[in-house]
Amino acid sequence: MPQARCLILACGNSLREDDGVGPWLAAWAEDRFAAEPRARVIARQQWTPELAQDVAEADAVLFIDCSVDAKPGEIRVAPVGPNGSDASGVGTHHLGAAELLALSKELYGAMPSNSLLMTIGAGSLELREGFSEAVQSALPEACTRLETIVLGVLASPDRPIPH
Amino acid sequence: MSQTITIDPVTRLEGHGKVTIYLNDQGEVENANFHVTQVRGFEKFSEGRPFYEMPSLMARICGICPVSHLIASAKACEAIMSVRIPHTAAQLRRMLNLAQMVQSHALSFFYLSSPDLLLGLDSDPANRHIFGVAAAKPELGRAGVGLRRFGQHIIELLGNKRIHPGWVVPGGVTEPLAAAKRDEILGMIPEAYANIKLALGWYKQIADTFEPEIEVFANFASNYLGLINEDESVEFTDGALRLIDAKGEIVADGITANQFTELIGEAVESYSYTKFAYYKPLGYPAGSYRVGPLARLNIAKSMGTPLADEELGLFKQLANGPVQSSFYYHYARLIDILYGIEKIERILTDPLILDKHVRATAGVNRLEGAGQAEAPRGTLHHHYKVDENGLMTWANLVIATGQNNKAMNEGVLQASKHYIHDGKFSEGILNRVEAVVRTFDPCLSCSTHAFGQMPLELKLISAEGSVVDRVVRS
Repeated sequence: MPQARCLILACGNSLREDDGVGPWLAAWAEDRFAAEPRARVIARQQWTPELAQDVAEADAVLFIDCSVDAKPGEIRVAPVGPNGSDASGVGTHHLGAAELLALSKELYGAMPSNSLLMTIGAGSLELREGFSEAVQSALPEACTRLETIVLGVLASPDRPIPH
Repeated sequence: MSQTITIDPVTRLEGHGKVTIYLNDQGEVENANFHVTQVRGFEKFSEGRPFYEMPSLMARICGICPVSHLIASAKACEAIMSVRIPHTAAQLRRMLNLAQMVQSHALSFFYLSSPDLLLGLDSDPANRHIFGVAAAKPELGRAGVGLRRFGQHIIELLGNKRIHPGWVVPGGVTEPLAAAKRDEILGMIPEAYANIKLALGWYKQIADTFEPEIEVFANFASNYLGLINEDESVEFTDGALRLIDAKGEIVADGITANQFTELIGEAVESYSYTKFAYYKPLGYPAGSYRVGPLARLNIAKSMGTPLADEELGLFKQLANGPVQSSFYYHYARLIDILYGIEKIERILTDPLILDKHVRATAGVNRLEGAGQAEAPRGTLHHHYKVDENGLMTWANLVIATGQNNKAMNEGVLQASKHYIHDGKFSEGILNRVEAVVRTFDPCLSCSTHAFGQMPLELKLISAEGSVVDRVVRS
């Protein structure tokens, strides 16, 4: 797999309503950047340790996940750094963005120069497909911000990502 | 006063389990149980579904070994259809199953058990995880990640999905292998060899330091069951079952999927949702046996591939007869991985591997069918009955974890009795009890597949250790 200048790494389960917003945005990004070989998109139900290699090989990573801590539909984008210091509770089937970054640093001695975590506040995590009204309404803005971030990275990968 | 020690949950397993250790008035271990506390209902809710849906439905039992369920299920369906699948389809399925075995074993060895092996069973539990391994020996962590990716990527290339691929269907597979995918897999083989050789070399360096654990980690005589080829080499996808006893003598041989139910029974204990498989002619519990990597290597006379055969020779030198300590599941798991890589490479050079004919078709020609395969953690059996329209009327799945259940319980008891005295124990001791279970790499979500059939005993235990309430559902 060629080295990605910008890795879009989404997480979520499309059968758990708003939890599927990460994979939905990943699918959107896959279409939007289909002709851009420097952008790579990976969507998983959970982030696992194997992804550390993909993270280590990227110049920049945009993690995308839903959040239960934010208001439904609220989009937050913030820099994220490595943190594996409180890993005693981590499973082998799911890691967070900070833990993945820490693992990529430990295992491969490399980390992206830029890492952002985009979260979208979940309104409902019921067992069904589709989104709550709040998340559905937030999708256009989420796409715009995702696009801006990726284009910014591709234009200048070593500078802080505009978000 | 008697006491009860509870380890809940047992960590670094696939699924949720619990261990209860019962101490007598003198603080000595009287009994210990490994409980599987989750319950599922796959056999029941498959009733009424068309049989050809079964592989994709049954694969949802597990996110770690869905491929084995796909294959055992498809084979049961093919027995109902009375079809023999094309050679290329059989080879592709074999490769898929081996890829899954590699990634699953890599998870078990590197992610779940290597923290104990590398950092020590008494090391700080705050560091006993994959991050601890990455910090202490990053090359080992990279090897584990690399082997996981190797297996997962092959599954994704063949089945178009990393988890729950729908590619295996009754009659074969849905699409042939493309040359580009074959070449991509072949390109990954050298790195996979390097990773497993690193792991095997490291394991051999540290294995002797675990001599005390080897002595008491489910180290007892038992029977062993596993698939084997006619030439007595190890097999994961076809072949027939062989059962050997603790001395290595053949107890039963050539057991086909159709004969399985005649010979293998499932006992029920009140403390677990997982049943206890046993060989019927010997009764329960005498007919209990172990499955999985240790059993496969104890049963096979060869691996059928040169590098794995060298390792099998070394493995066989560990004992005069079957290797009994479950600690050696770790070593056997690494040998399985080496075999898997060699076999995948060999399958890819089969001149017919790109053949387009990969699926046989038929309707319902029998009302009952069974299929079996080796899952990473042991033998897996699916048995179905259908009506004349092909709708499921009954299903029974016998899972590796159920077949190891008695040995896991006896192993927990053996270790508990060895380590716990005068009612005293440390975190490291409890970790050793958990580590016994981990050697088997049980998959608990796979193992509890029936609903509403098994009794469950609930005990409410006071802080002082006395039982204050008891509920039995039967």
